[in-house]
Amino acid sequence: MLRDYVPLLLHIGVAIGFAVSALLMSVLLGKAGRRTRVKDTAYECGMVPQGETQPRFSVKFYLVAMLFILFDLEIVFMYPWAVVYKEMIVESKLVLWSMLSFVTILMIGYVYALKKGALDWKR
Amino acid sequence: MTIGAPILEVEVLVIGLFVLMVEAFFERIDKRTLAFAAIFGLAAVLAASFFLAPAPTDVATTGFWSFYTADLLAIFFKRFALVTTILVLVMMVDYAPVVRQSVHGTTHQSGLGEFFALPIFTCVGLMWMASAIDFVMIFVSLELVTMSFYVLVSFTRRNPATLEAGVKYLILSALSTGFLVYGITWIFGVTGETNLARVTAVLADPALESGPALFGMVLVLVALGFKIAAVPFQMWVPDVYQGAPTPVTAFLSVGSKAAGFVVLLRVLQPFFMMPQMVKALTIIALLTLLYGNLAALPQTNLKRLLAYSSIAHAGYLLIGVVSFAGEAVAYYLVAYLLMTLLSFAVLVVVANQTGDNIEDFSGLAKRSPFLAFAMLVAMASLAGVPFTAGFLGKFYIFDAALRQHQTTLVVVGVITVACGFYYYLKVVRAMYWDGSSIDAPVPVSRLSRVTMTAMMVAIVVLGVYPQPILNALK
Repeated sequence: MLRDYVPLLLHIGVAIGFAVSALLMSVLLGKAGRRTRVKDTAYECGMVPQGETQPRFSVKFYLVAMLFILFDLEIVFMYPWAVVYKEMIVESKLVLWSMLSFVTILMIGYVYALKKGALDWKR
Repeated sequence: MTIGAPILEVEVLVIGLFVLMVEAFFERIDKRTLAFAAIFGLAAVLAASFFLAPAPTDVATTGFWSFYTADLLAIFFKRFALVTTILVLVMMVDYAPVVRQSVHGTTHQSGLGEFFALPIFTCVGLMWMASAIDFVMIFVSLELVTMSFYVLVSFTRRNPATLEAGVKYLILSALSTGFLVYGITWIFGVTGETNLARVTAVLADPALESGPALFGMVLVLVALGFKIAAVPFQMWVPDVYQGAPTPVTAFLSVGSKAAGFVVLLRVLQPFFMMPQMVKALTIIALLTLLYGNLAALPQTNLKRLLAYSSIAHAGYLLIGVVSFAGEAVAYYLVAYLLMTLLSFAVLVVVANQTGDNIEDFSGLAKRSPFLAFAMLVAMASLAGVPFTAGFLGKFYIFDAALRQHQTTLVVVGVITVACGFYYYLKVVRAMYWDGSSIDAPVPVSRLSRVTMTAMMVAIVVLGVYPQPILNALK
């Protein structure tokens, strides 16, 4: 059983070997350029950089992003549900009610976020 | 009239959503009403749990409901979760002033509604977990519990200690979840099943190579060890317990631990055929007993002391698990619930006035004889003084271990109990013998006074008449 893993080990070996040799070659063959202040600044599409390299972002961005991912991902659950719906509804109504309750819970979450002003950018 | 078991979880979920909606739409009302409504609702669900339709005797292994069981163990732990949540909510009402101070918001009541709603969702997770007999279901319900705990632990976020506790809990808990999922994939890879009964059936085949399954089980054990705070997975416990809001600490130490043990009891069933597993658990139990009790000795902060005491109690519970004594574990957990929540309830009230160090309890017997007596009962039970539930719990555990000839565990267990007497009675000494600079009486609300009295009575009654708990699992 373990012999099946030999190609995998070989693959890992090749990957590490390639990376190490490529880095080694660049050190051995390449020339180290002069370092100046201008060269060490952050690269910003050729413009003169402004402000810090890692500025602080408002937490609102994260909040909106999280809410987006949350509601976006729930849609994924509906695709497989929609595919099997026609066959399963013949057997019992459970398939309908489970999705309805799921959407209701989502709705309540959405209403809560709305009421708390999570989508209100000015707050 | 009888009802099906899954209705209970749905009812609790509806209560939680209701609280959340009232919080969102009505800003003016006194938010503590929400807690009272939730307590009332959960008590109704608890009452409803006594009218359940009898569960089918054959364990469902196929069909839609093959992830869910409503056997006696499940019903028992559902009630356990409900009682814990009710008591924690009572504590949270007392804790409300602290939340008001330490949450940013537009009104002075900001965050209170969520503080009362989140434990209800945790309760739903705990109840699902009690019934879960499929690895996927175990994972999903465990996540529901952990996610709501992430928020609860870091709730009073103006306090730097709480923030630290929140970050530590988030990172280490996520790591342990990773171990759980990885373990489940290994077990699934070997057996091709996630349902526990079917996993057992596949593993019973002697031709099967058991090594990979055992490896998967060890990974699952790591994750559960984190949940029940067993050594060597206990690093997070002292800091998180000390930093988290006190009612949340109480919830964490009772609810989260009980859930870990019920999953442990269920998951270990397919694997107890293997002697390696028993050996590993014995070593973990020994380490947990020694570490928890010895590290508790020098503590000066009561919350931290209770954190180490919670590790120590995980050790006693593990003795029960190793000795295959499900009933003894269940009884011990009930005793643990009562005495731990009682001590935290007193701690919340006293800490509102002075602080949560042991020296803040000096002279409590003069400031509030009632609180001092409640703490005395809790500490006596935690230490294992006869005629309390804590004593009988330890007695059943050691009895079961002796039947299985686990002499080492019993000897170490008895020695560490003696150790426990020292640090629990240190609190009693502070309350009754040490003088205090403050003479002001500690105000206790009527609701907490009634709850504390009920818990004290339960500790003493169960200490001499344990039959109701023992019969519940027969």
